[in-house]
Parts: sequence; C-alpha cells; structure tokens
Amino acid sequence: MIKRIQKIIRSWQKEKEYQKKLAELRKRDPFNYKNF
Amino acid sequence: MIQLGISAFYHDSAACLMVDGKVIAAAEEERFTGIKHDNSFPINAIEYCLEEGRIKLADIKEVCWYEKPKKKEERVYKVFNKRPLRTLFLRLKAKKRFKEQNPFLVLKSIGYKGRVKFVDHHRSHTNFSYYTSPYKEAAILTIDGVGETETITISKGQGNTITKIHSIDFPHSLGMLYSTITSFLGFKPNEGEYKVMGLAPYGDPRRYFEKLNKLFKGSGSNLYLLQRYFTWEYSEQVMFNKRLCRLLELPPRLPEEEVTQKHKDLAAALQKIYEREFIFLVRKSKELTGTTNLCLGGGCAYNGVANALAYKYFDSVYIPFAPSDAGSAIGACLKTHTDISPYLGPEYTDKQIYKVLSRYKDKVQYFKLSEKKLIRKTAQLLTAQNIIGWFQGRMEFGARALGNRSILASPRHPVMRERLNQVIKKREGFRPFAPSVPKEEASKFFHLKEDIPYMNQVVRGKTMLIPSATHIDGSCRVQTVTEEQNPIYYKLLQEIGGMCNIPVLLNTSFNLKDQTITLDPQQAIERFLNSRISFLVINSFLIKKK
Repeated sequence: MIKRIQKIIRSWQKEKEYQKKLAELRKRDPFNYKNF
Repeated sequence: MIQLGISAFYHDSAACLMVDGKVIAAAEEERFTGIKHDNSFPINAIEYCLEEGRIKLADIKEVCWYEKPKKKEERVYKVFNKRPLRTLFLRLKAKKRFKEQNPFLVLKSIGYKGRVKFVDHHRSHTNFSYYTSPYKEAAILTIDGVGETETITISKGQGNTITKIHSIDFPHSLGMLYSTITSFLGFKPNEGEYKVMGLAPYGDPRRYFEKLNKLFKGSGSNLYLLQRYFTWEYSEQVMFNKRLCRLLELPPRLPEEEVTQKHKDLAAALQKIYEREFIFLVRKSKELTGTTNLCLGGGCAYNGVANALAYKYFDSVYIPFAPSDAGSAIGACLKTHTDISPYLGPEYTDKQIYKVLSRYKDKVQYFKLSEKKLIRKTAQLLTAQNIIGWFQGRMEFGARALGNRSILASPRHPVMRERLNQVIKKREGFRPFAPSVPKEEASKFFHLKEDIPYMNQVVRGKTMLIPSATHIDGSCRVQTVTEEQNPIYYKLLQEIGGMCNIPVLLNTSFNLKDQTITLDPQQAIERFLNSRISFLVINSFLIKKK
C-alpha cells in the first residue's frame, strides 16, 4: 500500500516537473518553432 | 537570361544571381544582418548580388522563388481545419503573415515588376543537389522539416530531367522529429541539431531507442509519426507535449541546465533512429531508381554521420555545400547541370583591407607579405600551436567555412580542441572540429570512399596523430582540399605537411559564440581583437595584436 502511494506521489511530482519545464520553455522565444 | 534566386521567410534566407545558367554571386542574409539563420527578406544579399554582377534590378528577367507560398498556405489551413478552435489565433497570425510575406508585394516594394517563377520547395532542393553534382544519372533523396506539404522526396535525375517518384507529406517529418528532440535537449531547433549530432557519440542509444521507436507507426518510405506526442499541427511554440516527457520518463532540459548522461543517451538514440530511417530511405531510393549514384538534399543532408551510411547501397554519394533552404535560392534557378564553387560571396581588395587596417593602427601591427612568405609564416605559426584567423578571397555560401572564413589550428595537440571550444569559440566542450587535408593525402589519415570537399560526411580516422580533429568515437568530419578548389589554402596545407609531415589543419568557422560567419575585414579585425586568436591573416596581410 505504502509503495503504491509512494509511486503515485512520484508520478505526480514528475508530472508537475514536466508541466513546469514545458511552461518555462514556452516562454522562451528561441524554442518557438515555425511550421509555416 | 538574368535570374535572381530567392529563399526567404522560413530560415536561412538567401539570394543568388544567375546569368545565362552560371551562378555569379550568392549569399545568405544572416551574414549581413548578424542574425543567425535570418529568415527575413534577403534585401542585403540581393543588393550584394546585384553589385557583384554590376546589374540593376530592372535588368532581372526572372525571379525564382524557392517554394510555392499558395500551396504552403493551403496546407497550413488544411491542418488548422482539424482543430478549428484551438488554432483560431494561429490562423489569424498565419493569415497576417502570409499577407505580409506575399512575394509579389515584397518584390514590388523593392521595385521589381517582372516575372516571378515559383518552384516546389523540395524541387529546389532536388535541383540544387542534382544539377551541381557530377552525375548524369542519379537517385536524389531530399529530407527536411517541411516544404509546402512534402517532408521527404525520392527522385531520379537523368540528363537534364528530374522525375519525382515518391514523397512523404507533413506532419510525418524526420527533420521535425530531429528538431523536436533537439529542443527537448535544450538546444534551439533549426540550429542546435549539430550539437545533438556531436553529443550522440557520448551516449548509449539503448536507453531511449525503444522509447523513441514508439513514436513511429510506419517506417522508411511509409514514415508515420504518431502526432499525439507533438504539437506541430496546432502550435508554433514548443514542438512537443507532456506525453513525450511521459514516454521518455524525462523532463525537457532547459538550456542553462547541465547536460547529463540521460541527455547524451537520448541524443544517441535519436541519431540511431534517424540513421535507421535514413538507410531505409536510401535503400528505397536504390530500389526505385536502380542507379549507382546518390544526391542528398534538404537540411537533413547536414547529418554527416548518417550520410556516410549511404555507401551501403550506392557507389558514389554527392552532397552539395548548402543543402538546406539557403541552397534552394540557387536550386530554384537551375534547369540544367552547372559548374559551381562554394565561394560565391563578397571579397575585398588589399586596398580596401589596408584602409580598414589603418583605422586600427593603435591596436594592431600588420605586415604585407608575398604569397610564398605568407604561407611559410602562417604554417610556422600554426606548427607552433598558434590559433589563426584566416580570411581569404570570396566568402563561402552555406553553413561550412571551407578555408576562406576560417579559424585554423594544428590538430596534433590533444588540448587544442578544448582550447578552441572553451577559450576561442566559447561553446560546449563536446563539439568536434573538422580537419582539412589535401585530397591526395586524405587516405593516409582517414578511411574515405570518395573526396569530401564540403565537410558533409563523417569518416573513421586512421591515426592517433591528430587527436584534436578526432571525435570521441574515432570519427572525423573531413574536408578534402584540392588546388583547383582553393589554391592558397591547399598550399598552406602542403606547407604544414612539409614542416611536420601531417598536412592536416583544424578548420572551424570564423565566428565567436552565437555569431554568424565573418563577412568583411572590419568584422574579422573586431573579432580578432575580442578573442584570444593569436594572429589574423587577411588576404596578404599578417596581423598581430599590439
């Protein structure tokens, strides 16, 4: 049970990190990409 | 017939002037504006071309535009129609941009009223690759991000005729996949791909190969990329979404963050995946055309590691000096084979250089030498481990410095690479440098199948005598030099060979961090003064700091 909860917390933390990093990248113009 | 070729508004804007099928001048706009991969209308490059050809705009009979904007616009709106609400603002932005970038209006604004010929994006790549090649019959494979709709094409060239045989359409794009992972790794798309290539040999592809493989539903000539991981179809911002992070179990790297082993492994896996797809396409090109020669084009033809694999199916492989969109300015004009040199940019007379030098009298000392003495002295300085700025004749066209706007150093000392990377160029330490070698000496130092005049293939090194020119995996991105192609650079290499028995030089572009390649003598002197380059050679002048 504890292991399962730990796994959920870890995956939630990862999700948070992905979201944060993506938001940070979106702010940075050099990472914008033109497809037209 | 006087033609003006133009590539603009995507990346690497460029212009070229062609008179009766001969390229008189060509240059990329970035050299004049200082903005790397500048995508603006190449007005400065056009002015240079006209000046070089002593031609007025009114004399131009035809402007050849490197793609078909209408076709591209149709593709963009068709893709937006899949998600009308989500792409509402992007649609408005696109509408505005297409209006502003209408070639007729832009050309009218500079006073051109003549004929405009639009050439398919991939056809421009194909033309440039095939018509500048030595072949009368060849398969032509072009791979890039996206043109109007196509991302990959396979054609056959026979005489002056090119026939397209197979193509893959947006959004299934190997170029965009490479750019996506480039940005995931914290490098700028359309620029940092070289860094990813340089990083790949430091990693183990096995960690991420299977994960990256899950992005594919179809492979090779049936390439199908699962779009749920990418945002190309509905966003101009970051090219991937959270699903890609989840798949890789890795957060994207921000540019200021350290490059870890995981990042190196991801770069290695991406390169492996690209090579696998590339070789499938090469095999398909062979099957469809039955020829023994292959021409490569499109931005992905800068992937020298993959390019070398094409010899598995072809006896001879040709990659032009500017396979990306810049070269398409030339490709759009070509209808037949042409002899072409990569040295198509501005050059400066000794009188002009002297005038510039006299403005820096208090900062530099300069000596005008005969060619023989200049070569001897430069070779001595290079052998003594000095780093030299080397500026000669006409500027190169394309991303590579081929011995006219170069920083040169001896590859014999193992610390030279670090010194160049960290002290002079101030760039990532993992990035390799290319060696230049006289054509006839090349096989002593490298495992070559053919000449590589434009540094666009990576080969295995044969010797430990040039450690700074050898990448961690034993590979080298060689430039073979002939007397015909670049006489003074060839003589310098021969002189070095005479002094130390190793006629090889490290050749990197003459620019410092985040700068474009040097255009003129003033820029060369400024960069020389602002760096730790030991000596500067501009034409026949040897220059040192006071």
